[in-house]
Amino acid sequence: MKRYVIITGTVTYAIRGRDILRKEGFRATVERNTVGIARYGCGYGIVLNGNIEKAVEILNESGIKILEVSPVN
Amino acid sequence: MIYLDNAATSGKKPKVVIDAVLNGLKYYSANPGRSGYKTSIDTSMAVYRVREKLYEFFGAKGPENVCFTANCTHSINFVLNGVLNNGDHVIVSSLEHNAVMRPLHFLRDKKGITFDVAEVDFLSPEKTLENFKKLIKPNTKLIFTTHGSNVTGTIIPIEKIGNLCKEKGILFGVDAAQTAGVLNINMKKMNIDYLCVAAHKGLYAPMGAGVLIANKPIENITVLGGTGSNSNQMQQPDFFPERIESGTQNVPTVLGIGAGVDFVKNMGVDNIYKKELNHTQYVYEKLKKIGCKLYTPFPKKDLYLPVLSFNFRDKNSLEIGEYLGKKGIAVRSGLHCAPFAHSTIGTIEVGTVRISPGIFNGISDLDSIINILKKYK
Repeated sequence: MKRYVIITGTVTYAIRGRDILRKEGFRATVERNTVGIARYGCGYGIVLNGNIEKAVEILNESGIKILEVSPVN
Repeated sequence: MIYLDNAATSGKKPKVVIDAVLNGLKYYSANPGRSGYKTSIDTSMAVYRVREKLYEFFGAKGPENVCFTANCTHSINFVLNGVLNNGDHVIVSSLEHNAVMRPLHFLRDKKGITFDVAEVDFLSPEKTLENFKKLIKPNTKLIFTTHGSNVTGTIIPIEKIGNLCKEKGILFGVDAAQTAGVLNINMKKMNIDYLCVAAHKGLYAPMGAGVLIANKPIENITVLGGTGSNSNQMQQPDFFPERIESGTQNVPTVLGIGAGVDFVKNMGVDNIYKKELNHTQYVYEKLKKIGCKLYTPFPKKDLYLPVLSFNFRDKNSLEIGEYLGKKGIAVRSGLHCAPFAHSTIGTIEVGTVRISPGIFNGISDLDSIINILKKYK
């Protein structure tokens, strides 16, 4: 299954988002962001596999600001 | 030492708080929100869990709205400097601490704001509310008030004032230095936009523990710097907590705040208030019997905190404070960094001696102070 990182920037939003997704049954972890440093600077993201569209929808509904969604190798 | 100075800081910290702080030093000594290795991530998680506890405990908008500061004074400064601009009008109570009055005088002199003072009625919350209401002007941007006086213990009716602010579209900030952990506070229910907390008092955390919960934006910021996020930009992030939290956080203290919240929840806010107020009522009557001058009515439930000011035999309050200190009783005397409140009760020239019983005090502690005062020559 393809893995994605949802870049949130701040670690606080990443942890909150991860907790929300886990409650919805996603396997998600918080990791330091390794992509887009020129665009977003240092920061964090939520790494997960599963239905990425659904995950993004859930986070948007919860007010988690998403900077970018990228596939992870 | 009999400690009766809990309005300054809770003198005895619960074991769970001490253990949490030590665990912070032992196991979470990595910078949170700055790196991706395990200890840094674990520390970020531990700090976030404390944000969650405070969010739930105070009914905040979200965990991210909980910001850690150095103390309640810093939190108040973030609010007053952060939302007030030239031409804005503020209303405060007649019992404010210098943490509020000094920034307001500075902002009046340097930034062109204006403020008015609403008189607090010592017996009628309704009259206090009316006194706030009649000072509202078209340019009133903020009502900022202490929740409870650190001099007289008088409780300000913040829920009523919060409703008034909501009705009038005015921002509402509360200095909860004396009340967080002693009285129930729910930001949503009380329409509080900014809550400033001294976590080292009623939440039993180490000194140097402050919290600002900001449910509304803070435009002007006075401390800017590294936040671990948006680091390619020269502008401070516009989201909380990074809007406020520049630089490395005091992680052991933050973990102590979390343990303090757990302690208070286990004890029960109502139980803490009941016990501490009972002791205050007890000592009020005893002080009255030995001829002490008291400045407030009998401290009734819901109107007063466990904080009491008195003077004895027309002596300077500092003399009495020194005498009690030498006899092993810890109280605070003088102006309590609140000359404004002392002007209100007419004690600006002499100050008062303040007793503030805590959860760990017993009746015998209060009998001791009475017996020692009786022997004063």
